[in-house]
Amino acid sequence: MCEQSAVNSLAQDHRALVVRIIHLTEPSDFDSKGVQLFQIDLEAGELAAQVQPGQFVHMALPQGSPHILRRPISVYKRDIFTGIVSLLIQIMGDGTRCLSSLETGTHIPVLGPLGRGWNSGNSHSCLLVGGGVGAAPLYLLAEQLAARGAHVDVVLGAATADLLVCEKSYTGLFSSEHVHLATDDGSKGIKGFTTHVVARLMQDCTYQYVATCGPEPMLKAVVLQQPGAIIEVSLERRMACGIGACLSCTFDSTQSRLRACLDGPVFDGREVCW
Amino acid sequence: MSVNLAVNLGGLGMKNPYTVASGTFGSGREYAELWARHDQYSLNTLGALTTKGVSLEPWVGNPGVRIAETASGMLNSIGLQNPGVEHFCHHDLVWLSSQDVPVIVNVSGHRSNEYAQVIRRLEQEAAVAAYEVNISCPNVDSGGMSFGTDPDAAAEVVVACRKETRKPLLVKLTPNVTDITQIACAVQEAGADALSLINTVAGMAIDPLTRTRVFERGVAGLSGPAIKPVALLAVYRTAQVVSIPILGMGGIRTVTDVVEFLLAGATAVAIGTASFGDPFCAPRLVAELAHWCETEGVRCVSELTRSAI
Ligand SMILES: Cc1cc2nc3c(=O)[nH]c(=O)nc-3n(C[C@H](O)[C@H](O)[C@H](O)COP(=O)(O)OP(=O)(O)OC[C@H]3O[C@@H](n4cnc5c(N)ncnc54)[C@H](O)[C@@H]3O)c2cc1C
Ligand SMILES: Cc1cc2nc3c(=O)[nH]c(=O)nc-3n(C[C@H](O)[C@H](O)[C@H](O)COP(=O)(O)O)c2cc1C
Ligand code: FES
Repeated sequence: MCEQSAVNSLAQDHRALVVRIIHLTEPSDFDSKGVQLFQIDLEAGELAAQVQPGQFVHMALPQGSPHILRRPISVYKRDIFTGIVSLLIQIMGDGTRCLSSLETGTHIPVLGPLGRGWNSGNSHSCLLVGGGVGAAPLYLLAEQLAARGAHVDVVLGAATADLLVCEKSYTGLFSSEHVHLATDDGSKGIKGFTTHVVARLMQDCTYQYVATCGPEPMLKAVVLQQPGAIIEVSLERRMACGIGACLSCTFDSTQSRLRACLDGPVFDGREVCW
Repeated sequence: MSVNLAVNLGGLGMKNPYTVASGTFGSGREYAELWARHDQYSLNTLGALTTKGVSLEPWVGNPGVRIAETASGMLNSIGLQNPGVEHFCHHDLVWLSSQDVPVIVNVSGHRSNEYAQVIRRLEQEAAVAAYEVNISCPNVDSGGMSFGTDPDAAAEVVVACRKETRKPLLVKLTPNVTDITQIACAVQEAGADALSLINTVAGMAIDPLTRTRVFERGVAGLSGPAIKPVALLAVYRTAQVVSIPILGMGGIRTVTDVVEFLLAGATAVAIGTASFGDPFCAPRLVAELAHWCETEGVRCVSELTRSAI
């Protein structure tokens, strides 16, 4: 009975107010096949106060759409004083496109905070690796680490320079020599993948704690690169209930079959069966 | 005017005609904790709670992608993952027995004697109010739906289960047959106290970019508003030929959906997929039904059952 310890003990269905939508990719890119990113700022005071780094929310889509399921989205930023919670979203299909056209001033049901987030313990030497929109769920962790004065290196990767939308947030926390960039086309930082940067950094420094979020092949590569440190990964699965009841979101760990929504989304990378 | 919402589902007394659809609600704990935080609801708001399918041994369920959204619906291929009846009794049932809600345990098996053995074990548990025998799951290879598509095989499972218990025995049927009334009659004859209609509709999804099927087994089960008309017809037709009560489900999301199922012939209803979009759907609809009856001058909700012409 106790294995279902009340992980989601603070989750509520908030009626969040859509304060603003910021399109982060050029309007000209917006209808093209390229990556489309936007940020939603929601007013949800209790959620802002309660969310822990790495937790997510389950967002309902606007009424009147043919969608019946919510969409899981990690919390990117929060401001406890203004009660604003920010999400960074990549348009993947019709659901995320619906979210991108939410009207300012409307209310939207947002269930959260959900899941188990990052646990860096007292580690004082940490590496954060974010691929694409995977940079967002690491940001609150970075803030936490910065606040306690940990040594932190951040690696951010994206296809092109204009998609490195989180860079400024991270350089606001750490000096730019600790924020390492990689782009597929070399338009900013090194030309190549985050994993190339990670390999180089790991030669010079031993990290006690590594946290990574992004495409699964990248997560796997990062986990295999440093078997020594504590490595946490944030996994994405399709979700229906979001609270542990329906078993839609399972994945295999070395111990058992776990639910990404309740037992995760953050897991010990070495316990995941890749 | 006070409205009497109580119904009797094949010997199971329910204070209102609502339960949840098996597999969409776990054993209720996750939703109960969420409801408690919005403090007006508890599981006790429901007429009964139906658990996820329970089998004799632990089942790991299906690998790979397990759900996909469709227009006004969803496909699932969970594959009846569950920790087995022994674990269920020691964990889920212990917790459920403190919740003051009648518990319907959904039972699955690969062979008819496996269903019977699960019920034999559950008979030791006072917390179980009724059984719902699932002979209709499209997501497992042996057992499941293969029993529910043949009248003789269906009857064999029901006879085996009937021998084990005097508690209300519900049997859950699949719409994936040419004539559901044939199966329904065979199951009634074999001793079922009530029928649950419907389980998910067989369907599939293909990813155009990878040119592969989304679900490893190819087939998956469609649920949600997309299947409501299919479910309504199954309930209506079945109600014409059986005398035992029907638990109606399939795409219910609003109070008028509920009323339609009652009119078509259901005595009670289950809320399934709708809880994913709105986790408070079931308790909200309990209140809305009382209001609907009041507005329409219906004193007793059971008057509605089978009253469609
Ligand atoms: C815990 C968690 C946190 C997440 N955080 C973020 C975030 O901060 N920002 C962000 O942009 N996205 C995030 N995602 C992914 C996001 O939920 C999906 O991209 C979204 O649900 C897709 O919906 P859609 O209707 O646009 O796409 P669909 O039309 O449903 O699908 C389009 C494509 O996206 C894939 N997909 C669908 N659902 C998911 C899913 N749940 N996870 C991963 N891939 C999926 C499908 O396989 C398909 O290839 C997160 C997912 C999880 C599980
Ligand atoms: C994720 C999911 C899991 C399910 N698991 C079970 C199950 O374990 N046993 C069962 O009899 N039916 C199961 N079902 C079927 C539902 O109980 C119900 O019959 C069906 O979904 C139609 O109702 P709905 O449209 O309201 O969801 C499941 C359905 C879903 C969506
Ligand atoms: S989404 Fe339902 S259990 Fe994770």
